[in-house]
Amino acid sequence: MKRLQLQRWSSTVLSPRARTVNRLHQHLYSASLRHQSTAAPLQSEPQDASIGTNFEDPEVMRQVRSAHKRKSQLQYPSPPVEAATNSAKLAALHARLYLPSRLPVQTLARTLVDASADPNADFNNESLATLGHDLLTYYTSEYLLCKYPRLPLTVIFAAMYAYVGPKTLAAMAKEWGVDLAAAPGGEVDPGYLQFRRVDPGTDVNAATDDVKTPRPYANAAKWRKTVTSKIFYDDEFGDPIKGASAPGEGVTAEQASATFVRALMGSVYLHAGRPAAKRFFEQHILSRSLNISDLFNFSQPARDLARLCARENFEKPVAKITSETGRLSRHPVFVVGIFSGQDQLGEGAGASLLEARERAALSALKGWYLYSPLNVRVPSSMEEDGASPWEPAHVDLGEVIT
Amino acid sequence: MPVKGLRTVTTAQNGVGAFIHQCKRLDFHYCKYGGSSRGMLAFLTQTLPNFARENPQIELRVAPRPGKHPVIKGQYVNGREKAICVRNLEPIDILKKAMILKDASGDKLKRTKKPVTSINESVRGIWSPYHGDLRGV
Amino acid sequence: MFSRSVLRSLTSDLRLSAPSISTISLPQRACLHQTASLRNAQQQSQTQSSSLNPETPLSATPRAQESIPETSIHNIIPQTRDDIPLAKQPVAPTFTSPLEVTKSLMAQLPHLVGQTPHYVTAEIHARPFLLTAGDHIRLPFLMPKVKTGDILRFNRASALGSRDFTLKGSPHIDERLFECRVRVIGVESEPLRIKEKTKRRQRHTKQARSKHRYTTMRVMDVRVKSPEELLKEGAVVIEDAADSPQIEARS
Repeated sequence: MKRLQLQRWSSTVLSPRARTVNRLHQHLYSASLRHQSTAAPLQSEPQDASIGTNFEDPEVMRQVRSAHKRKSQLQYPSPPVEAATNSAKLAALHARLYLPSRLPVQTLARTLVDASADPNADFNNESLATLGHDLLTYYTSEYLLCKYPRLPLTVIFAAMYAYVGPKTLAAMAKEWGVDLAAAPGGEVDPGYLQFRRVDPGTDVNAATDDVKTPRPYANAAKWRKTVTSKIFYDDEFGDPIKGASAPGEGVTAEQASATFVRALMGSVYLHAGRPAAKRFFEQHILSRSLNISDLFNFSQPARDLARLCARENFEKPVAKITSETGRLSRHPVFVVGIFSGQDQLGEGAGASLLEARERAALSALKGWYLYSPLNVRVPSSMEEDGASPWEPAHVDLGEVIT
Repeated sequence: MPVKGLRTVTTAQNGVGAFIHQCKRLDFHYCKYGGSSRGMLAFLTQTLPNFARENPQIELRVAPRPGKHPVIKGQYVNGREKAICVRNLEPIDILKKAMILKDASGDKLKRTKKPVTSINESVRGIWSPYHGDLRGV
Repeated sequence: MFSRSVLRSLTSDLRLSAPSISTISLPQRACLHQTASLRNAQQQSQTQSSSLNPETPLSATPRAQESIPETSIHNIIPQTRDDIPLAKQPVAPTFTSPLEVTKSLMAQLPHLVGQTPHYVTAEIHARPFLLTAGDHIRLPFLMPKVKTGDILRFNRASALGSRDFTLKGSPHIDERLFECRVRVIGVESEPLRIKEKTKRRQRHTKQARSKHRYTTMRVMDVRVKSPEELLKEGAVVIEDAADSPQIEARS
């Protein structure tokens, strides 16, 4: 457990670094007043000079240095940069993730400091996380759009959420063996994920009023939000863009872990380059298993299928019983196929004729939407050296709109 | 709205893409005076530096525990802990015990009968009695 | 015995430095296990572990290091293939003749390649394991000379297929037709079993204890090579013969 440090409190209260800005670009213009050198910090009073100690004595100097070190550790809200090289936890995490050797442990330590722990943008992971988030969502969306060109937009949103949503990223951080610090501070081992926790009793799901969405009439309760408009006005998961949390507020463990994973992606990109970042994405995110056909939730599959057939100039879909058993018994089974002319589009079994028909229409629709071309290439594969000429990817008409 | 998306989370498959070593920390406890720790002391001075060099992904901690038998404890990514008592063991045997902890997955030991466990759907589908023609007997 | 303070300083030193010393780390994971002895063993199912650091892409090459302890001089960790004695190097597959593919197989192969997912019935010690990508295998034995993180390639398969098509070997499929890679995840052990051994007319019972250890693996991918790939690798198309492998469609 971490002890409460009175000096740290006072320093954060008194220091000019306590600001109320929260977004990244606002940080960039604010001057940082943090000095992380082995020299004495600015705030410390000049004590040694007056006493006139013997600077030749190694024992005295060692004590002086360690006192400085302790003081400098306590002074800052996050661990000093020098501490990163001494942390066994951090080195182990670096090796466990097979991070490139070009990514220094100091940067890894920085990715573990959340903005709620250290509001200074030069020492927290917010900027790295912004970059990493953009990379993750870009790579995922291009993969989904090229691999499954016919997916409906709502399913793409759901698949994006499944691949790079905060829940998944938090689960990944847990599977990487990243431990959470009980409370942030300069004296904490830099191998822990540091963030300020939410106060107990706070409703984390409470709707925030300061929604930063550019959507017009966003506050009109009964205004219809179309799926297409979500591309422009909402974030990559189809959720309204939330305003940043207030500076004094804590974050949940899930949010902090997700920010860490994004920041790590960003730092891999910065230090090791684009190919390493792409490999990192493929190895850690794309390699996880997701059954996309589980993400569909149809309300009226039979009607959608009829619309689809009309749009594609197929013959009208007709449901036919292909096999049945025990019609008069307590557990009948009907196997219904949906045919368009001679072609069978889908098949389903159910305990009633209606149920079987719905399932057959469902399988036909999923068969249409889950079309996946062979040997797909994503646009970012053109960035590799010696890539073969680009062949245009399949672009579909879009989903069936009823 | 014709179709809605259901939100889920992808399932981890450690080793398919990246491989994360499941053992994240090994704690070595010893007693300075106890005779049962003699092998452990030799292990700590002779073998452990090499062991640490070969396994950078594991955090190592060495801590005295006076008056007790020497113990190796492994902390795993899944949050569990495994401990092996290494009293009166030679350094080479202690290394074997450390390797056991290093290679373990951290899960509880289970007796399994099937060698392959899969989360994928059956590739060839499930046999159905309602399809196909009747074959002559 | 040490004095307490010496030991303290030693252990604290160890604690600090252990992970950061550990630098010459992974390249030697390449440790080339499939040695000559294994080659002679009749089990050939997993040949060359495609060793050389499974994570080459994001390789954990040694990070900055200040001091190499003297102990490392005595047992040098092999860094390149030259450091490894010839007898311990991995056995490269030797093929005396190029892969021969019949015309009919060449014509049917695109159907099999185009239908995903695939399964393979890989054989290890003549035991079949039906594998798909992402599966977790617990081998019924402890595989010698492998380390966690190694990547093996299973090269002996009796069947290879998708939902509607199956390529059956007679008795095995040529290993150049497919790729099935697995990664060693670790070593598991079963709970301790105690069997009471009794003999007649004797009150003494003997307890036999057993706690076996098993290697666990994860299937990384199961891939069937396309005809273009085979031709690129030097396959030769020949006329059909009676016992040539065929792709069977589901009846």
